[in-house]
Amino acid sequence: MSVEVVVKESDLAEMVEQVWISYLDPEGLNPLITTGDDAQPSDVHSSVSISGSWTGHIVYASSTAAAKRAAAAFLAVEVDEVSPDDIADVLGELANIVGGNVKAMLPAGAMLSLPQVVMAPESATRYPSAERVSGLYSVWEGEPVSVSLWQRREDKKDDKKEESA
Amino acid sequence: MKILIADDSRVMRQIVSRTLRQAGFGGHDLVEAADGREALDKTVAENPDLVISDWNMPELTGVEVLRKLRATGNDVKFGFVTSECTTEMQEAAEAAGAAFFIVKPFTAERFDEVFSPILG
Repeated sequence: MSVEVVVKESDLAEMVEQVWISYLDPEGLNPLITTGDDAQPSDVHSSVSISGSWTGHIVYASSTAAAKRAAAAFLAVEVDEVSPDDIADVLGELANIVGGNVKAMLPAGAMLSLPQVVMAPESATRYPSAERVSGLYSVWEGEPVSVSLWQRREDKKDDKKEESA
Repeated sequence: MKILIADDSRVMRQIVSRTLRQAGFGGHDLVEAADGREALDKTVAENPDLVISDWNMPELTGVEVLRKLRATGNDVKFGFVTSECTTEMQEAAEAAGAAFFIVKPFTAERFDEVFSPILG
């Protein structure tokens, strides 16, 4: 079964903005600035998978500096006090929060996985059966931060069939 | 009051603790659990007045913890702080006996709104 689901860049931007307002930039001093550069580099990434009524992945990626800054803001400590475990925990939670919000836009019957964190560039992980359907590419105080949505190819094909039917 | 905070993310447990303080609910006795099984065990062992639980956790999900507690007659005030906010989950939470449902990301204002009637 497949359903057509459109989670646009503007939807991702709204979700991420809420995370920034709540935890990373409550004063509104250092917001994310969208660049649209889908080739921007990353050092670390995290993801959650959704399966069921919609199947795919939500991937959060950033530079190490942005990940450390995010962990420091989450924990309310200085950047140099952040441990590698803190960074991994925060990266996982960022993917989880965005993934949960994406799931809320999907039809009933979708399951969210626990997060997975990879301390390597986003390009280190491949999703062979999925393709990117949406992405938010931005910088935070000059450091790259992105969120992208990957949908299972089989479902994409079904969507196209339904569209042309 | 004694409050149990259950979340598999240590950072998120800290944020829940901090947001409770920011919302004016500092000074309570806080206990933490890092997965669903620990949340269940500590709720039984520590007998908290309130459980603030994540939904998606290893071992047992938050709603499974709540159902197990209610099945044994434990009526502790229990609610969710979760990134997932579908109608089906909110209905499942309510049916299981949850007192509140807070969606991540959350603010101190949201905590104030939810916990003022509970914590005073």
